[in-house]
Amino acid sequence: MPAESDIAVRIRTALGEYLKRDPASIEPRHALREDLGLDSMATIELLFKIEEVFDLQIPDQDLQKLAKVSDVIAYVEGKVGKPAAAKPPAKRPASRKKG
Amino acid sequence: MNQRVVITGLGAVSPIGIGTGQFWKAALEGRSGISAIRPFDDLPLEAYRSRIAGQIHDFTPAHYLDGPHVDRVDRYAQFALVAAKEALADSGLRIERENPHRIGTIVGAGMGGMVMGEREITQLYRSQRPNRVHPNFIPTITLNSASGIVAMAHGAKGQNLTISTACSSSAHAIGQALLTIRSGRADAVITVGADASITPLVFAGFCSLRALSTNFNETPEKASRPFDRARDGFVMGEGAGALILESLPHAKKRKARIYAEVAGYAATSEAYHMVIPREDGLEVAETMALALRDAKVRPAQVDYVNAHATSTPIGDAVEVKALRHLFKSRADRMLVNATKSMIGHTLGAAGALGGVVCALALDTGQIHPTLNYEDPDPACALPGISTQTQERPIAIALLNAFGFGSNNAAVVFKKYTR
Repeated sequence: MPAESDIAVRIRTALGEYLKRDPASIEPRHALREDLGLDSMATIELLFKIEEVFDLQIPDQDLQKLAKVSDVIAYVEGKVGKPAAAKPPAKRPASRKKG
Repeated sequence: MNQRVVITGLGAVSPIGIGTGQFWKAALEGRSGISAIRPFDDLPLEAYRSRIAGQIHDFTPAHYLDGPHVDRVDRYAQFALVAAKEALADSGLRIERENPHRIGTIVGAGMGGMVMGEREITQLYRSQRPNRVHPNFIPTITLNSASGIVAMAHGAKGQNLTISTACSSSAHAIGQALLTIRSGRADAVITVGADASITPLVFAGFCSLRALSTNFNETPEKASRPFDRARDGFVMGEGAGALILESLPHAKKRKARIYAEVAGYAATSEAYHMVIPREDGLEVAETMALALRDAKVRPAQVDYVNAHATSTPIGDAVEVKALRHLFKSRADRMLVNATKSMIGHTLGAAGALGGVVCALALDTGQIHPTLNYEDPDPACALPGISTQTQERPIAIALLNAFGFGSNNAAVVFKKYTR
């Protein structure tokens, strides 16, 4: 099996946490909707998590490009580059309740 | 007891006009009330995906209201007070001459007192001083604050209820007012829908939900485009609508002007998903069918539909699919419009403002345009949707409203005939 990028590992981990299942059971070829059972709301929640992990903003119009796990990995790699080594996610200030 | 129920007064507070006259004139002229959003203090506006809304920019409560209520209630309740006051004056109903326990108040509100709610939460966490939370915080954010204050302002001592079913709240308010009067439990009900939650947190929440339009931040008036191929989400609006619903005998006895009859109502749950409608539209079709049955009207008799049509890709297509399913070939002959194309989605006010539009359509035979219906989406196209005002005698009108939490409402209005 070819070595996975750090980004791919983190995305699968995030997906595993969201879906409450073993990240190792989630494969890049899996479709978010058909294979992982994410409806449009669940996809939005997952991407909300991905945005946080990688400090990204994913515009609404990019959502339809993200059908499979591999699409999400390629998309994030395209946005944050494809570093060989893990780069810690940009630290954000601790979330604060705002009104 | 099965009283006929009629509408004898109207009130409107909207991004295209305060007062029913202004609102209706602007609607027939096809004016857009959508503009760039006002900044939220020092929050970075660019971090909001959507930066447009149907805000009411020139609302000064003291111009419309006096008395102790005005400054002590949240913006949505101020809107409710203004719309209710107008509707009552319009109806000529003098509650002091009535048995006040026979006059009810039903308000639909989706979000409620979020202006103060957000402000107090922010201040609490910033100041770390719980002892400085405002004493009026709880009475303001309690979701029935508007129905309470409207009744207090006018001495209406009948049932006082708030219905919160998100975007369909005030369509249900109209429906519940109908049931209340029809069954003889009240002579009249002050029926209001109100929301004013274009606030930093709520607006951010709708952005995160990816429910709002984001492709038209530079051309706000183009953003709310129900049924159009380029629609990409709803535009938040704010406002209030009010209707005085009254039993026909009571209205006749005092020789009231009658705009229209409220003839039928249905409420259902899709029991499906918090925010996603069933894509086959069958539950929406069933809701409309039940409301028509309640009104003893056949689908082939319906002339006009005030669609829920929020300008979301899925929602509009589902609604048209449902219309086609229920109305068959009649769907090609009905007039259909989307009030939200002008004022955005006013959430809890949407049903009541739609009800005001239905009453005026029946009364005048005028159907306001649907803005930005420039490139009809084949999934939504209906011949009866137009960017122009249409005129035709309307005998039966149908109002649709669907809300988060998987709930649907439909209300049937009839032209009043003796």
